[in-house]
Amino acid sequence: MTEPIDELPVDETMVIAWVDGELDPERAESVRQAVAVDPALHELAETHRAMRGRFRAAFGPIAAEPVALPSAEIVSMADARAKRMRGLWVPGAIAASLAVGLFIGQIERPAGVADRADALALAPGLAHQLDTQLSGAPGPVRVALSFRAQDGTYCRSFTATHLDGVACRTDGGWTLRYAAPGTSTHSDYAQAGNDPARASAIAAMIAGEPLDAAGERAARDRGWR
Amino acid sequence: MDAFEAALVRILPRLRRFAHGLTRDAADADDLTQRAAERALKARSQWQPGTNFDAWAYRIMRNLWIDTARSRQRRDRLIAPAEAAETIGAPGDAEAAAERLFLMRAMEHLPDEQREAVALVMIEGLSYAEAAEVLEVPAGTLTSRLVRGRQALAKMLGGNER
Repeated sequence: MTEPIDELPVDETMVIAWVDGELDPERAESVRQAVAVDPALHELAETHRAMRGRFRAAFGPIAAEPVALPSAEIVSMADARAKRMRGLWVPGAIAASLAVGLFIGQIERPAGVADRADALALAPGLAHQLDTQLSGAPGPVRVALSFRAQDGTYCRSFTATHLDGVACRTDGGWTLRYAAPGTSTHSDYAQAGNDPARASAIAAMIAGEPLDAAGERAARDRGWR
Repeated sequence: MDAFEAALVRILPRLRRFAHGLTRDAADADDLTQRAAERALKARSQWQPGTNFDAWAYRIMRNLWIDTARSRQRRDRLIAPAEAAETIGAPGDAEAAAERLFLMRAMEHLPDEQREAVALVMIEGLSYAEAAEVLEVPAGTLTSRLVRGRQALAKMLGGNER
């Protein structure tokens, strides 16, 4: 064994700094040599190296998921966030695997959607409204906003009887990506965009800006594909 | 999209990961990420070109979380956190989500100042100098918090290696 380059004893702080790649080459070499000959230091180094790897592996996939900037409209809606309101926020991978019959007017209890794993696809009636209706038009289903999601699908934020939600058009039809119990069967259009939890859900999904009237009409005429 | 927005979009996924380390809850992490993005957009005039944008963005999120955590601690004494949300908001398969939840539970036991140091270095992969810049503490302070946090975690996770 060569002489240590400096007089500092190799302690746990140095071992951790070595594992983190924080030491200059000379000091790193002296730690490497100490770890090689001292079983206790070796075990310490392995423990910290494994732990760092474990955290990096567990949390790494999160940073691989794109996150959209809040749009100006979403930011202003989020400003109205007075308190946390949590609806059912279904990320794409999970939502895509769900397909179901959700019927307008059949959700009686506030927890109805979240309680039923099979309640996430949209009934033909509602789906037809989402296919055809333009934002702001009156009717049993009112669309507040249309936008393109990061996965390329078209999505629409809407208010129906007993249900506020965000649905995206997939090959299998409209799939619910966010839902909360309807605030009121007679809520006006302005209220339709006022749920801060929904605004957050949209902000996390949206790519770019919401569609304008012309963009929405064009998307509708292409069948939302 | 201008250069500032492009830089923000580039770092947002990492901020969201950092948020998981800070909040230990997937739904809270998404919420914190959105609010940090909103605050960064509003505070863009305060960022000085040529300085470290990433450290600036991490610092915004961390300071926002301190404010949030302060008010949340009062609330959480009355309401138990909703753990069920974890399985819904987390990416990846169930096993990966369970592993992450397990590690977040372990981080729960660290003092805030150790947890944020651990999250920046061990999860985010920042250098000690960068982490110290985010937290606005001297390098020696960062190192000692980091080491104490790592020692405590190693003790908790001992025998739980996968």
